[in-house]
Amino acid sequence: MAKLVLSVGGAVVHQCFVDKLRLTIGRDAVNQIVIDDPTVGREHAAILEIGNDHIVEDLGSAAGTFVNGARVVRHILKHGDTMGFGTHALRYLNPKAEESELDRTMLIRALPKVPDKPSQPTGTEAADATINTARPMKGHLPSGRVKVLAGARAGAQIELDRVVATLGTPGGHLAVITRRPQGYFVTHVEGDRYPQVNGEALDAEPHALRSGDMIEVGDEKIEFLQD
Amino acid sequence: MAQDFLEIAALTDVGKVRQFNEDSIGIDAETGTVLVADGMGGHRAGEVASRMASDLIMAELHEAVSGLGNETGMIAALHAANQAIKRANRAVFAASQTQAAYKGMGTTLALALFHNNKVVLAHVGDSRIYRLRGNALQLLTRDDSMLRDQVDLGFIRAEDAGESHNRNLITRALGIAEAVKPHLTDDSALPGDIYLLCSDGLTDIVEERDIELILSALRSNLPLACFHLVQTAKDNGGYDNVSAILVRVRERFPAARRWGFLRWLRGLFT
Repeated sequence: MAKLVLSVGGAVVHQCFVDKLRLTIGRDAVNQIVIDDPTVGREHAAILEIGNDHIVEDLGSAAGTFVNGARVVRHILKHGDTMGFGTHALRYLNPKAEESELDRTMLIRALPKVPDKPSQPTGTEAADATINTARPMKGHLPSGRVKVLAGARAGAQIELDRVVATLGTPGGHLAVITRRPQGYFVTHVEGDRYPQVNGEALDAEPHALRSGDMIEVGDEKIEFLQD
Repeated sequence: MAQDFLEIAALTDVGKVRQFNEDSIGIDAETGTVLVADGMGGHRAGEVASRMASDLIMAELHEAVSGLGNETGMIAALHAANQAIKRANRAVFAASQTQAAYKGMGTTLALALFHNNKVVLAHVGDSRIYRLRGNALQLLTRDDSMLRDQVDLGFIRAEDAGESHNRNLITRALGIAEAVKPHLTDDSALPGDIYLLCSDGLTDIVEERDIELILSALRSNLPLACFHLVQTAKDNGGYDNVSAILVRVRERFPAARRWGFLRWLRGLFT
């Protein structure tokens, strides 16, 4: 169960579990978390439980609600987040939310008031359909670039800062450089000849690149460089 | 025959954390039908649910779509998909009621049925269908998920959704009750379009702009594109099973043309 720890000047003054669907924070005694500070509103903020999430919401306070130093209106709390209310800090602790067990798909009742509309015809729905559900990626990715020495793009320098980048020409000879945690790889995509690395032709398998490798794809000659 | 006008590539992978793959995929190149199902339930029951739903739906649609012949319009195809999904739902639910180990099992579903220059799209839960047209990726389904509801109700901003812990909570599934209401629609399938059906093991962990980039960069090599989608999900952590099916529309496929082809074929033997 998630826990809240209230402290001022580094000294813990109160702690409690988040055991309600909604609890409030403020100066008044009616709040579940009472903060004795004149800059804190009578009913300053609330923490709501929505599924596995706890969301802190500012209730229109004059001084504002801060999470890790940034002012927020609504914020999904993460394990270790520190909310600031005047001179007080309120830390949110929920190590369970970090565990991958939460990734196991489970069924839950839909939130009320969501219209049970069927998917709409193409085009009308799509504009608002996209939400970024992908979690922020953890882990380190390498940093590299290619210099095009010959071919239509000769002279160009291309940063390899995306998951894939293509070399050569679509419809002609095409290869792809993939950026992975363990490094960069080049793979044949299309064309009647496989790409060459340092004069050696590849096969259909991905080939690990080393800084300084010379790649040939069709009539494009490319130098690969990695930090 | 659908293999004339469609090119299909597919991959399903257990990922890097899970012990079992509870995703199932179904491919019927002959009738132009593909599906992804992501099972849920304890003790490998998720595997049973997704496999059962996939096999039942694919078998029933194989019959139904072969029988459509030169029927134009989409109502018959939409009806066939709806029927197959509802029948599979009843069967999975019945199995979950009779065996203790299967109690509570269920599955998501994303299904595409290509017919008459169009495609029937059906889904339940948080498995998704996208379309790449030109270089633009478009999501064609709306997740039945707590996360989606939170965003639609304005509780959280769409761009903060990645921070939520609710990505695994779905609000609708196949096989968990006596009846299920699938989302059904149809879309015009143009030559050059690439459809992506996938489980949330891909979309929870690979950003849409990266999916778009991989598909548009590798469009000439669908198996490689599929491989890279799955590899990127695993490189990003691979917390869940990951499945992806890619379908490219090669040419127009009016229903009458198929009929014409069959008649021409028969003509060769009479």
